[in-house]
Formats: sequence, structure tokens, C-alpha cells
Amino acid sequence: MRLLTHNILSSNIKGVTNGFPLGIEVEKVVEKQVEINHDFLRNIFPKIDWKAFSDASKIMGYVELPEESPEPSVLDSDLDFLRKFHHALLELHLEEGALVCPQTGRKFPVNKGIPNMLLHEDEV
Amino acid sequence: MHSIPCNFSVFGYPVISSSMKEIKVKDASTLCTLLPDGEPHIQQSVFVGEEQRSSSISVKSTPELEKKYVHCVYDAIAPHFSSTRFAKWPKVSAFLESLPTGSLILDAGCGNGKYLGLNSSCYFIGCDISAPLIKICADKGHEVLVADAVNLPYRTNFGDAAISIAVLHHLSTENRRKKAIEELVRVIKKGGLVLITVWAVEQEDKSLLTKWTPLTEKYVEEWIGPGSPRVRGPSAFTLESIPETEENGLGGHTKDSRENTENMHQSMCLTPENKDDSLVSKDGSNQQEYFVPWHLPYHRAEVSGASAGALANGLAKKDDKKGAVVYNRYYHVFGEGELERLVSGMDNAVIIDKFYDKSNWCIILEKTLLGLKHLQDKDTSPSLI
Repeated sequence: MRLLTHNILSSNIKGVTNGFPLGIEVEKVVEKQVEINHDFLRNIFPKIDWKAFSDASKIMGYVELPEESPEPSVLDSDLDFLRKFHHALLELHLEEGALVCPQTGRKFPVNKGIPNMLLHEDEV
Repeated sequence: MHSIPCNFSVFGYPVISSSMKEIKVKDASTLCTLLPDGEPHIQQSVFVGEEQRSSSISVKSTPELEKKYVHCVYDAIAPHFSSTRFAKWPKVSAFLESLPTGSLILDAGCGNGKYLGLNSSCYFIGCDISAPLIKICADKGHEVLVADAVNLPYRTNFGDAAISIAVLHHLSTENRRKKAIEELVRVIKKGGLVLITVWAVEQEDKSLLTKWTPLTEKYVEEWIGPGSPRVRGPSAFTLESIPETEENGLGGHTKDSRENTENMHQSMCLTPENKDDSLVSKDGSNQQEYFVPWHLPYHRAEVSGASAGALANGLAKKDDKKGAVVYNRYYHVFGEGELERLVSGMDNAVIIDKFYDKSNWCIILEKTLLGLKHLQDKDTSPSLI
């Protein structure tokens, strides 16, 4: 699971009013390189909840991202920032661990990089 | 895997009544190893009124019919199914290629991930309820998760576009089909597009319909919507013997089923009680509910391991002549205008295209700002601007 995906995921358990962001329990993180796409980074940047993204990247072991959400102009000029943004967003994978509902504490397992977000009968 | 004894009602769904404990099921996949003891326990409480049933069961709760005849089947046939699903449907490809560079595209019900990554300038996130199919996607390097199309675990307004290719016809009630469409629209941004395709009642090859098993009310626990037959009972919950038919690769996917082409001309046709070109069932209502068979060759069945359990509890049958385990997949095929009707009640989506292609009904929706839909629907004054 990449941090891009973590930024879109939200707990949809019945009765949960704020299921984002999910907590992360790390057992295994893997880095896999992928080609950078500047158009995509510029498109996705405004959608990203920066605090959740920055916090999550630290949990995954990457500390290079700025705490504060940078000005959008950095996307045009700052290649170093783009590289770090790209790396944290798309090249860090949670292979084994869990995502945690912030309201109920319920854990969604992540195995072989795949989160299982299916709810139990009593959660829908 | 462990077995969970499941108390079936007449309609195959645990009925919520005061005397009955709610059955907790850990995950749908474990139902594939039901003990043969899943015998029907016909209860008096099954004759609860429709309103009562509807209010006590969430639209997001998976009906037994889908667990047995969609989830279990796809879990069991995943690798074989995936091997027959490789041809990309031009209409879907065209839609994906038309999306702006850098788009985030959500594929809900992505199956074996055939369309993930199709537009190399975009980023895809796929989800499916079948863990085995998702594993196949992940092995190809796609970003995927296991999730339910009726309850997407995504934040609202995030994606740029969404697709639902041959998914909604596996949902067994109108409310669930509507819910799935609402979810597709919910998770994309305003101005974003959704492409939905579903199998059509109006099949180009009419002879294929005779190879399907029409469902009677025996199998479906909840029918909602105009023209749907109401549940009557009691009926014995036993699986009728499945006539020897062959699965088809409909909707332009016919050439996918290479492994089954030899069967195409040898299958025995089921002679329906009704006229060949009529989909009207005995009680006069239009027949849209079917079991469509899938033949899983024996050598493939051993690999997945789920077939032993499925055979034991009657969910699948052996066809020694064809050397295959025969599964049935549940389908609600769509009639002309049905997709439009499902969308008509939505106040945040408009139809920007609709078409019929290779035995599928297709629709493209655009997410709008709330309220603006009324401007499109009626030629009234722009009071909302």
C-alpha cells in the first residue's frame, strides 16, 4: 500500500463520523522505485491532506517531507521537493501491517501490500 | 480456512428475529467452506413483511445469494477466470485514454486488473471484493485493495474518474445497485466522470440466453423495484439440478474464452418454457435474474482448493464429460433504460452519454454541484445560479 492510497482511505464502519486518517501499524516497509510523473504530482498535490501524508511518511520511516504543506508554486520550481514528494507518495510500500480506524480502533490488515477493507456483518 | 455453520432461512439469508442471534461472519470468503450441514432450517419467522426485512438489513450487507453465487465462485475460479480476461474493450479503453494526463482513476470491481494502468499517464487504484483476484492484480504491480463496491473505503470527492466494468449486474437488489452507483459518484471530484457497463437483457446472440438458468423466486430473498416478482413462500431451499450449459464470454469478451471455445458448439441447449426471444417468466414479469455457468477445468480446480468444499455443499457440480467443475454465477441483467432509471433520482450526477455495445448497456455520468442537475433536467429559470 502506497501513501497515496493511505491518503484516500477512510474508515467506513457504521456510525463512524470521522474515519480519516487511518492510523498505521508498520511491520514491514519496502521501497520500490517508479518513474516520476510531474503532471500527476501537480494534479494530485491539491487533493492530498498534507498533515496525514507527512505523519504517515514518518511512521513509514521517511523524514524528509516538510511538516507544513508547501506552497503549490514549489511544484513548478523545486525539483528536490518533487522528488521527495514522489518518493513518499509512490515509492514507499506498507507490505505488512495494519490500518487503524481512528474512531473505533478497529484494525484493517495489510498483507503483501494489500489492505483488506472489508467490514464484518456487524459493522455495516 | 475454517467452516462456519450458517443457519439458512428459506431464502438463504439469516432472518433477523428476536429469537435468533445475529450471525457474525468473519469474512465472506470463509463461507466457501460451508459444511454440508448448511441444510435449510425453515423458520416461521421467515414470513416477516418486506418493510420489516428492509429496515433491519442494511443495503450494505451482502445477501446470501451474492456470497454463494458471486463471491465464492470468483474466489474459486480466479486464476482461470483471469486467464480468459485479457482483451480490452475498445469503449472502455477509449474512455480511459480520454481522461486528462495525471488523473487519479478508481476502478471499483477491478477483477483481474485488466484496465489498471491502461492509460500510462494516469494513476489507478483498483478494488475488488475477491481477495484472490486482487492478489492477481497485486502480482502485476498494481495498487489495489480488497473492498466492497457498495461501501467504498474512499474519502469523498478525491478521485478524478471512476469505472465500474461488468460489476453492477452481480448485485441482487435494486437498492444495492443504486448504492454502488452513488458510491462511484461520491468518491470522485465534482466535474469528474464515471463509466458504468453492465450485461444487457437484450443479448446480441439470443441463443446464449437459453444456456442460462433463469432464477425463480426460490433463490432471491429481496426484490425491490417496479416489475420485480415479490417473494412468496414457503419454498424449499434446495438447489435445482443445473442443466448442462456453458458459460459465455459476453459483451465483446467472447474471444477471451479460448479455453472454452471448443465447448461453444458442443453444449446442449436448454429449451426454455418460454419463447426463445422472450424474457417473460411464468408469472408474466420480465426475467432478468439468471445463473450463468462457469466451467472450471479439473486441473484448475485442484489449484484453488475451494472446489472440494463447493462440491460438498452443493454450490458446484462435476461434469465428467467436460472434465470441469461447474459453478453458477448470479446475474441481474439490465434492461434498456434501467441504468438511466437508477440514476434519475440522484441530485449530484447527470448522464452525459449512454450507449449499447456488444450486449452491454453503458452509461457515462458527470458529477455535478448539488442542485445544478435541475437546470439540466428542466428548461426553467436559472434561479440556482
